[in-house]
Amino acid sequence: MKLRFVIFLIAPLCAGLWPSNQVMAKERKKSEPATAIEPKFTVLSPLGTPPAIKMLAMAPRPNTLDDRTVYIVDDGFVGGDVLLKEMGAWFNRNMPNVNIVYRRKAGGFPDEDPALWAEIKAKGDAVIMGVGH
Amino acid sequence: MEENAAKKGMPHLRFTFVKSPVWGKTAEQLRKDVIEGTDPITGKPVMREIVDELTTPLSDEDKTTRTIQQSAGPNHFGPDTAEDLQRLFREKGMTDYLPIVLPTEEKVDAMLKATSHKPDEIVGKISPTAGVYEYWSYTVKQVAVNAVMAGADPIYFPVILAVAAAGKESLSSSDNSFAEALVINGPIRDEVGLNYGIGAMGPFNHANATIGRAWTLLSINAGNCGKVGETYMGVVGNPTNWTNIVIAENEKESPWKSFSVRRGFKPEDSVVSIFEGWGVISAKNSVYAVWSKEMNFAAELKNIFNDQDQLFGAVAVLSPAVASYIKDEGYDTIGKLTDWLYKSPEETAPHFRSPAQINILVTGSSNNLYWDYGGMRYVKSVSIDKWR
Repeated sequence: MKLRFVIFLIAPLCAGLWPSNQVMAKERKKSEPATAIEPKFTVLSPLGTPPAIKMLAMAPRPNTLDDRTVYIVDDGFVGGDVLLKEMGAWFNRNMPNVNIVYRRKAGGFPDEDPALWAEIKAKGDAVIMGVGH
Repeated sequence: MEENAAKKGMPHLRFTFVKSPVWGKTAEQLRKDVIEGTDPITGKPVMREIVDELTTPLSDEDKTTRTIQQSAGPNHFGPDTAEDLQRLFREKGMTDYLPIVLPTEEKVDAMLKATSHKPDEIVGKISPTAGVYEYWSYTVKQVAVNAVMAGADPIYFPVILAVAAAGKESLSSSDNSFAEALVINGPIRDEVGLNYGIGAMGPFNHANATIGRAWTLLSINAGNCGKVGETYMGVVGNPTNWTNIVIAENEKESPWKSFSVRRGFKPEDSVVSIFEGWGVISAKNSVYAVWSKEMNFAAELKNIFNDQDQLFGAVAVLSPAVASYIKDEGYDTIGKLTDWLYKSPEETAPHFRSPAQINILVTGSSNNLYWDYGGMRYVKSVSIDKWR
């Protein structure tokens, strides 16, 4: 009973509104141009300014690692020491002529370690740097 | 990695990727999975690739030492329709993927009128992680463009400039998915209508929402942050990164000196302070936050804080009602409270490195005794008045 009552009530209301809606829509169309032109905008770039890149010459490479000293440097990432010591062990097993030196870099991962860099420059032939972030 | 190496001047730096994660594995697992495994990018055996990289001669390009100027691209886009420009900004990664206010010259000019500083003045520089990635710099005008995009009103601009001057990214490149927070003190809070009442940290205020959002848009666009896979590696991401955690302190109802005054500023100074860390959650998430007829909030704080990680220390965001309870428990200054929170029973080491690792903030309403806590550390404070 309730459902029938609601439908009955709404139907005449809709019937009453429908014609007036159609008239209003027709009037709107008359006042609008045939093709609406969307406005166009010019906007500014939000991007900042990147720095210039200073290209660095990479360190020369030895032809072979035999009888050379290779530093393995750990930047302190969790588990990096375990991984890099296993890497040193791989060299000992598979390339025993390579002298492996394991070092933990001072400070946090983004920090420079000038003393270690100087040591490697003086005594090393190559570096493997473990970078974890 | 490759992108970062190129920006540091070695586009052909030789590197080998290894299967992640590395931590949490035994030596044997790492030997089998990583050392005796393959580079997940190239598919080559890890150790063979490393030996080759160490012994293959350099090319002429590898020895180059010239300087290369970088460009961020054109100064403007368009003319185009609003819909196409919204799409363009999304496709170029210049948004937070919510609709933006288009930064027309007129809107940017209106923003620039809210500061005495010249449009071409350098405000600061941001890196996706300090010391790891390159820094991009930005001018007052470039900050204004991002402030417009965030939907900020011009009166908020000195706050946004002060945040920009801090030079701190809101989107860290770390795989930790960090959260960032702004703590705002002084008269500026009422001047711009910041919310420090009901729902202070929620989406219920235009100034709070758009100032926080401007920081992230600035980080993305002016600081080159948030480029997924290049300058952003957060494993699960952090939903607070959209607008960050904006905390205007409720100085009127707080029983203690405001955060900025404790940092040495005057009460009449308007100041924004940056925090970073894991974020904050309701204290009711902790087993220590129990309802009882006689509350001891200071003890509750201590128990909760002592369960937290040391990296970022601890922060509590107290409602004024909780803060007043704690004051009545005998802590009439924050210093007394943090000293007590830091102290540990005799013959045991303190949980945190110093009382300075514990920060207390007051905001929100007093309609109940709720508060938030988290691991967030103070980074720096910047005067907003200098950017008016």
